[in-house]
Amino acid sequence: MNTLRNLGLAFVLLLAGPLAHAHIASNGFLTLRVDGSKIAGAIELAIRDGELAVGLDRDSNGKVTWGELKAGQTPLQNYLQGHLRLAGADGPCRLKFAPVEVNDRVDGTYLWLPLTAECGGTLKRLFIDYTLLDAEDPSHRGLLTLFANGAAQTAVLGGSAGTRQFELNHASAWSAFVEYLRAGIWHIWSGIDHLLFLLSLLLPAVLVRRQNRWEAVPIAGPAFLNIVKVVSAFTLAHSITLSLAAFDVIRLPSRLTESVIAASIIIAALNNVFPRITEGRWRIAFAFGLLHGFGFASVLTEMGLPKGARLISLVAFNLGVETGQLAVVLAVMPLAYLLRATRFYRRGVMPWGSSAIACLALFWFLQRALL
Amino acid sequence: MRCRRNQSRILRGWLLRLAALLIAGGTSVALAGPYVPADDNEVLAEVSAGTRYSDVSARRLARGRIDVAIPLAEFYIQQSRLNGDLRFLGYAEAVLAPWVKQTPPKADVLALQATLQQSRHEFSASLATLDRALAVRPQDPQALLIRATVLRVLGRYPEAGAACEQFSRLVEPRLAALCIESLRGLNGHLESAYASLIQVSAQGWLNSEKSWLYSELGEMAVRLGREQEAERWFQQDLRLSPTDFYVRAAYADLMLQQGRSAEVLALLAGQESLEPLLLRIAIAQKQLRDPGLGLSCARLRASFAAELQRGDAVHRREQARFLLEVLNQPDLSLAAALENWTVQHEPDDVLVLVHAANAAGNPQAARPALEFVRAQGQSDVRVAAMNPEIAAAR
Repeated sequence: MNTLRNLGLAFVLLLAGPLAHAHIASNGFLTLRVDGSKIAGAIELAIRDGELAVGLDRDSNGKVTWGELKAGQTPLQNYLQGHLRLAGADGPCRLKFAPVEVNDRVDGTYLWLPLTAECGGTLKRLFIDYTLLDAEDPSHRGLLTLFANGAAQTAVLGGSAGTRQFELNHASAWSAFVEYLRAGIWHIWSGIDHLLFLLSLLLPAVLVRRQNRWEAVPIAGPAFLNIVKVVSAFTLAHSITLSLAAFDVIRLPSRLTESVIAASIIIAALNNVFPRITEGRWRIAFAFGLLHGFGFASVLTEMGLPKGARLISLVAFNLGVETGQLAVVLAVMPLAYLLRATRFYRRGVMPWGSSAIACLALFWFLQRALL
Repeated sequence: MRCRRNQSRILRGWLLRLAALLIAGGTSVALAGPYVPADDNEVLAEVSAGTRYSDVSARRLARGRIDVAIPLAEFYIQQSRLNGDLRFLGYAEAVLAPWVKQTPPKADVLALQATLQQSRHEFSASLATLDRALAVRPQDPQALLIRATVLRVLGRYPEAGAACEQFSRLVEPRLAALCIESLRGLNGHLESAYASLIQVSAQGWLNSEKSWLYSELGEMAVRLGREQEAERWFQQDLRLSPTDFYVRAAYADLMLQQGRSAEVLALLAGQESLEPLLLRIAIAQKQLRDPGLGLSCARLRASFAAELQRGDAVHRREQARFLLEVLNQPDLSLAAALENWTVQHEPDDVLVLVHAANAAGNPQAARPALEFVRAQGQSDVRVAAMNPEIAAAR
């Protein structure tokens, strides 16, 4: 009896005592981006888990090298074909893998396999059957991040969950509208370059140029008209190019558009310091507004326009941009109007404020054009 | 009453905000992302015995033979305990799976299953499994000891004491003393429990038993404020089991408390792959303004985010400390510490909660923990130092 007791006890102590917890459990990371009938993404699996699943350590020395991982790609891919099944309503997707890479995470090095899948028809619903390591480590889970139609969802795959089903809801028109409206407002607020361009054109709107000097406009009417013209021209111009770019009619390299946007700010600001165009600044607003539109479009390209709600999202985004822009105009211009007759405004804000804007824009220009 | 309402509101929102913070928030240093190694001979991972593909035959054998399954599961659980790797618990689970479903299940299998659950902080599940194990075999020392451990973590000391009593009748006196005295150290008899554990001679003990003794003594000494003695116990334990990350973490906490951040980095060098140790490294780096902080922070963020997505609760206490001591987010930290307190009642859980509540300017929020401490007569100089009320009561 006594021996029997002692037999187990060395072991008992290893289990009890203070609570042990260190590593996170085994996770695979699956990222999928759905586009029509196609999926692109990657799966990430700890090398140790890869070894457990298919045996990567060819020379059995207890170490998996990069050479061994590359050599083990075929069995690995075959294993994944059997344990990661994607399907749409029309049937299973055909999975293909690109050459393996690696990624470092806290608990060790992970293998990183880019994948693509062709699912036959446009995906409205995605079925994922994730059974990686189900026999070897039931606590293994797949952490999924799924991007579809401009929305991201996450889920935990594996375990006893079985096949999981994901609705790739075409974003409802209203939610898309709100989301893109917000993105538009946010972009104009965070993309200070567009605002500075507009402000450079609006600063002189409350003044008139007479005998090489800035003088205050005597009444609100002309100032108001100036502002409306500039803002409308800018809006019209960037709406045109934004739409063209969003629907892929025209594409310009972002380095070019970003550099020219910076240049446009320099020109608009310098025009306040050394006035060349004093009447009809709306023409500058229109001409360069065309380029700013391409700048806005780059944000949309990053977000992607949701299928089925492309037009409404585009309109919403544009409306958001206008809203943000108008808010700034409404906040700044009454103040400018009130201050227009002061020396501070005519001799301070106009030349020095504009110079500061030009300097900042020059810095952007150099950064964007040369780096 | 108002305080209570505030707390529940904090609790409702904290998970979302924490998720947002961890996943999106202020990633000053991004992890590098995938790359192609330059050298074919670069070692990407080491795979230890029992985790190789070639071990598949043993695992297959275990499916049909319980005399293979039990030792193999024990081996995996030992490995997880030794090197703190939760993956081994998964391997043990795989080996046990067919035997847990068997009716009626064997007590050994159930005790192992309960151990797995305890290690994953699934405490109620673990207790339920232990009940089943003890129903099959009421005199099972292993099940009784795990039961005592789980109940102790939950702060249910009288029940833990009962399990210890039963355990004591089945095992040698030294183990009985360890179970009982370490519990007495928590419910009002710290000084005398510490004294009597020191009296116990460790001669002839197994290394695993000595290691348990030293880590208990070290933690008791910390709570007594006898820092030099604590350091000696921790060092003794580390000499005995250098891979014991648990005691290494406790030792690092002692050093952090004494402002010995540079020594913490030396103590934990090369142990960055264990999250609790990486947390201590990050805290030390922050105090030293070490440039390595960005990377440590990004890695902790990534692993806590993964844990959060999985819905695991293994590192709640660490999350609260990370939020407070690395990210300077006292409100979120307080919410995490409160959430942790609803589950665990260890001295370090009290400490984290009091610390977070003070930092958040809401010391009242730590009331449940302080009431628990008072009711149990628990003494801990670290808590007292942070809370004048407790200090005055002493």
